[in-house]
Amino acid sequence: MTDEPVLAVRDLVVEYRTPAGPVRAVRGASFDLYEGESLALVGESGCGKTTLGLALLRLLPRLGSTPHGEVRYRRADGSTVDLLTMRKEQLRRFRWHEAAMVFQGAMNALNPVLRVQDQMYDTIRAHRSMSASAARKRCHEVLDMVRLEPRRVMPSYPHELSGGMRQRVLIAMALLLSPRVLVLDEPTTALDILTQRSIVDVLQELRRELGFAMVFVTHDLALAAELADRVATMYAGRIVELGDSRDVFAAPRHPYTAGLIRAVPPAVGEATEISSIPGGPPSLAALPPGCPFSVRCGLSAEVGDGDGPAGVCVQADPELTRTGERHEVACHYSDRVEFTREVVVDGV
Amino acid sequence: MSVTEADPVAAAAPTRPAVLRVLSAVWRSYAFRRILKAVLTVYLVATFTFFLVRLLPGNPVEVYINTLMQQNGMSYDQAANMAKALYSFDPGKPLVVQYLDYLNGLLHGDLGNSIGSPGTTVGSILVAYLPWTLFSVGIALIISFCLGILLGMAMAYRRNGVIDHVLSVIGSLLHSIPNYLLAIMIVVFLGIQLNLFDVSQMRGAYSPGVTPEFSADFFSDVMYHAGLPITTYVLTTIGSWMLVMKSSTVETLGEDYVTVAKARGLRDRRIATAYVGRNAVLPLFSQLAIAAGFVVGGSILIEQVFQYQGIGYLLFRAVNDRDYPLMQGIFLVITIAVVLANLVADLLYGRLDPRIRIGGGER
Ligand SMILES: Nc1ncnc2c1ncn2[C@@H]1O[C@H](COP(=O)(O)OP(=O)(O)OP(=O)(O)O)[C@@H](O)[C@H]1O
Ligand code: SF4
Ligand SMILES: [Mg+2]
Repeated sequence: MTDEPVLAVRDLVVEYRTPAGPVRAVRGASFDLYEGESLALVGESGCGKTTLGLALLRLLPRLGSTPHGEVRYRRADGSTVDLLTMRKEQLRRFRWHEAAMVFQGAMNALNPVLRVQDQMYDTIRAHRSMSASAARKRCHEVLDMVRLEPRRVMPSYPHELSGGMRQRVLIAMALLLSPRVLVLDEPTTALDILTQRSIVDVLQELRRELGFAMVFVTHDLALAAELADRVATMYAGRIVELGDSRDVFAAPRHPYTAGLIRAVPPAVGEATEISSIPGGPPSLAALPPGCPFSVRCGLSAEVGDGDGPAGVCVQADPELTRTGERHEVACHYSDRVEFTREVVVDGV
Repeated sequence: MSVTEADPVAAAAPTRPAVLRVLSAVWRSYAFRRILKAVLTVYLVATFTFFLVRLLPGNPVEVYINTLMQQNGMSYDQAANMAKALYSFDPGKPLVVQYLDYLNGLLHGDLGNSIGSPGTTVGSILVAYLPWTLFSVGIALIISFCLGILLGMAMAYRRNGVIDHVLSVIGSLLHSIPNYLLAIMIVVFLGIQLNLFDVSQMRGAYSPGVTPEFSADFFSDVMYHAGLPITTYVLTTIGSWMLVMKSSTVETLGEDYVTVAKARGLRDRRIATAYVGRNAVLPLFSQLAIAAGFVVGGSILIEQVFQYQGIGYLLFRAVNDRDYPLMQGIFLVITIAVVLANLVADLLYGRLDPRIRIGGGER
């Protein structure tokens, strides 16, 4: 591992054009992803996790754009490129070969009219010239890695496979070209608990063996605690807390992260401590002034003496600032966040 | 199977279940059931037209018999015998017998004799006219479908661009013009007023004096005569192909697997053909089937306007002559065309869409 990050995201802004005008789904995200590291992106539905993940590979839909920011990628040879200014053909070569993605809701991620093997060959052929037998061998390798039976899966059409198998095929597909960065968008959502478990195990094992860096999006904090070296909490298009997962889960410094953790039922023990965060996330089109969390923030209300949120919280949107050695938080009162509960899940 | 384990017959004849299994596999086969359905449809329509034609007023044989009686002073029996010989059609027979005769004839490919041109079989007339319709409308359908799909995809890829807007306007305009109107407009404006070509010379399926043969000359003559009908068919159908393909492509472009294909770094051309095009065109095949089925039926007015000697032109003549056997034959051909086209498209669709291919065999 080197000190330089493979992926350095700086002040990234993503906008969607909507009939009601542009909406910022990501509002200035910055983070580094180091080689071999695993970063979990957590947050409520609609906070911009998928959008951020897509923007990393420049895969935003037609109506999405990145008016601002930088996604710097460092190649194996040490040279760096900004993905957002990359040319078309260069970008095409970059994708999958350097960074691959496993999409959210992957049920429809495979072309229904092509056999799995043809889609895998397509992927290889787009990047390498490889003999048919070598390509076949490579496909067998990656399918073995995700514990699928190549002979059964390769000649199948996507609809002939179960949801869990398809998800594995997609992971296998992502590994085909040995990328250095893997973005996984809720790779286990919509799968039953046993399938989830086995996919998580496969991911753990693969990361140990292959050492790729990984950004993975999840709602499941237990999974984040288990798989991630670092955690980023997103709220209303911003990263509001970023730190080593042990630190974040043991002592969150942002009221929102603390709320998320409290909302998870403990694996053991009584459930009395569970509490959800009141209200819902604000509309991105009409954010409240100051800190977007202010309307729901218990801490701010406390500081503001029951008189609505504290003044500073509605006046200024807090910047992401360093509070610990490898811990950054965007909250005016981060030093007053109290969190007493034990770590929810401690790396099973 | 309801055979119990103790049944001695089942134990003694182990081959029977195997035979049954094959039969039931055939029965469950998608293709088999489709074909059976097609045959049944043709039979029903043939029966229906048979009775419909009998119910029409002014039975031509009776009319002919009356004419003979009045003009030649024959007795009814004489006249009827003569008519019977000419038409091989006996109105005196009970309807059921007529029907069975008719079905028997159909099974042997015998559609009866024409009334308009006594002495000729309906079959031979159809054989002379049908190929021209199949040829002209078939070519037009292929051109229109392929071109429409390409243009539709181009519109979808550049949606809201200039190409899209221009083609949308042209497409919906063409789509809304009835084909016979366009044909008349072509004849009147381009042919007569602007005198761009000689409409009267372009009549017929090929020029008089030219003998049908496999030669470049004959082919170019045929194309010369088919040119206007083909142009008309293409122009009046391409609009809807374009628009349908565009919307199908736009929908497909939003599918996850297209984004994933992009993420996998596939080349644009590969994505456009195997990922977007192939999926977008699938729903159009059922419409292609319907269109192909109307190949014959849709030609009626056009062939009349251009005096192109195909089946549509023939139907006009048959109606004028009250040539019921011929009409019956033409309706049958039209039916068979529709049914066959649907069958082919269904079977083809099954080959193109793996999800359906499976769906036929299991549940
Ligand atoms: N194509 C689009 N056009 C307009 N707005 C969009 C589009 N896609 C997403 N958004 C908006 O951007 C915001 C972030 O969406 P995104 O899908 O990134 O959220 P998410 O965090 O991944 O949510 P989830 O957990 O439900 O997957 C949402 O408010 C959503 O409404
Ligand atoms: S800045 Fe204020 S409102 Fe925002 S999270 Fe911190 S305390 Fe709550
Ligand atoms: Mg998402």
